[in-house]
Amino acid sequence: MRLVTVLYLIFLAAPIFLLLVGSFGEVWSNTLLPQGFTWRWYSEIVNDPSFVRAFMTSLQVMVATCVLNVLVGLPLAYAIHSAAHRGVRFAARLAALMPVAAPELVLAFGFILVFSSDTLPWLGSIWLLVAAHLVLTLPYSVTTLLADMEQIQLGEYEAVASSLGANFFQRARDVVVPLLGTSLTSALLTVAALSIGEFQISNLISGFLSRTYPVTLLQAFYGATGFACAATVVLLVLAALASVASSLTARATSGGRAS
Amino acid sequence: MLHLDNVSFLYPGASVGVRDVSIEVKPGELVAVIGASGSGKTTLLNLLAGFLTPSRGRVVIDGNDVSAMPPEKRNLGIVFQSYGLFPHLRAWENVAYPLKVRKVPAEERRERALDALRRVGMGNRSNNGPRELSGGQQQRVALARALVFEPRGLLLDEPLSALDANLRVEMRDEILRVQRAAGIAALLVTHDQEEALSIADRVAVMRDGRLVQIAPPRELYDAPADEETARFVGEANLWNGTVAAQGRVRTPVGELACDTHGYATGAPVVVLVRPENVLAHGSRDGDAVNSFTGVVAADRFLGSTRRIDLSVQDASIRIQTRTRDAIGGVSIPPDAIRLLTPTNKIQPQEEII
Repeated sequence: MRLVTVLYLIFLAAPIFLLLVGSFGEVWSNTLLPQGFTWRWYSEIVNDPSFVRAFMTSLQVMVATCVLNVLVGLPLAYAIHSAAHRGVRFAARLAALMPVAAPELVLAFGFILVFSSDTLPWLGSIWLLVAAHLVLTLPYSVTTLLADMEQIQLGEYEAVASSLGANFFQRARDVVVPLLGTSLTSALLTVAALSIGEFQISNLISGFLSRTYPVTLLQAFYGATGFACAATVVLLVLAALASVASSLTARATSGGRAS
Repeated sequence: MLHLDNVSFLYPGASVGVRDVSIEVKPGELVAVIGASGSGKTTLLNLLAGFLTPSRGRVVIDGNDVSAMPPEKRNLGIVFQSYGLFPHLRAWENVAYPLKVRKVPAEERRERALDALRRVGMGNRSNNGPRELSGGQQQRVALARALVFEPRGLLLDEPLSALDANLRVEMRDEILRVQRAAGIAALLVTHDQEEALSIADRVAVMRDGRLVQIAPPRELYDAPADEETARFVGEANLWNGTVAAQGRVRTPVGELACDTHGYATGAPVVVLVRPENVLAHGSRDGDAVNSFTGVVAADRFLGSTRRIDLSVQDASIRIQTRTRDAIGGVSIPPDAIRLLTPTNKIQPQEEII
């Protein structure tokens, strides 16, 4: 049993390990491991304007997607949760989950179709990219929030708060948002990771100047191996940072709750 | 004063709810609502609280019709079964919350919250979070929070059902003491009839969405409105019988001498005898009226008392006694016998009209 676990972990970690090694290797052809040590690949990335721009674009898209997930996802989840009618709840849930079921290629085609028209000529803008990421990530945040609302029995706390005299806005500010803090953070962790790694839609709808990092990364695969490895490591670090930051906030929130 | 005025409510798509219920709770009074699950007792509380809106009738608080008013405007303190303390706030912050939404200055609300906590004996735990408090302590904090803003009434929704037996009795007295001190109208919903009898000024019995009887505990126990109520409140021997002659009733345990005033000869009746009013003897007591002998079918030791089922003819007599001697016979004093109209004779009344 333990052997299986170890083998599985090696299987998981091996590509990442090879990427790291490859990104510092000078030459890597026809050998098991690369030869020589160099920082060259990283300095090439830093000095490549298209990579730097893509990196910044990815960060902007990620932050905007997270913010919009809070502004849209939280009220949406709340509305679904408090809908009185069971049928309405089911329909709303189904609609919110739809983007997960639809292949991304289909969504992207829809975006291209609508936003390349003369009336809505927004294809290639960063905001359209954000919109696409929002559509893709919203199901995850809504599902996480809904599950938490049911688990902590948010309705009961709301009933308590209203019996104590709190109106809708006071309840939202003092009860709903604080109680959902942890699940909101963990939802945003997923959203951030998804947004940073998203390739399919971004590749199809981003413009030349609004490419996200994964889209630009594809170009690197046609160049030197070391450069490709280094560029991929950057993406990996970015994703890892997003998850570490989110889990730290999550711990801070839950820690604040206990004290 | 809390007043439900001929209130009806039906859950959509269901036949349950409440029908034409009127209850008044005066300031300083504690009225307990009891009934089986599904009898509508919690619906009554939700109607008063504002979580439900009556389909007919009015909800009146201190003379104002509040039927259409949302819960947050009704100014009622509610203690919930699950306590409902906010997990992200400390005990005193929980208690201060209703003052915060009422825009009481920060300094004053902290003081009033601490004062309210002291009144329920929780002054030394004010900085604890709800998770660090036991069930009984959480309930005390919830009680303090429901009273700190001087509400017009106090609603208690099965407040003790999550506590263990000893603590329940202790908290019962605590709730009564705090409610009396505050001098406000209180409505307690409970499925525990003993709890209702022990602390309420009046007890309302709900069945199938209707108010069957509302009376002080002693009256309810001694003179229940019908057979079902007698069965629900306390323990009871209940036998179907007929009036054999004036002063005589025929029952499955034998013929009993009792007061048959108000019932014609031949009328069907239900005979109620409380187990603690049955006198136990070692053998047949020839001198006593309504004296029977039988075989002990069950004998349970309950500590301070014994509960015995004595098989007599085709029925059994339940006895609650303090004696530890062997029992071979019983007698039932005539004034311990109460005649009731059978329940199924009352219900169709409405259809006839």
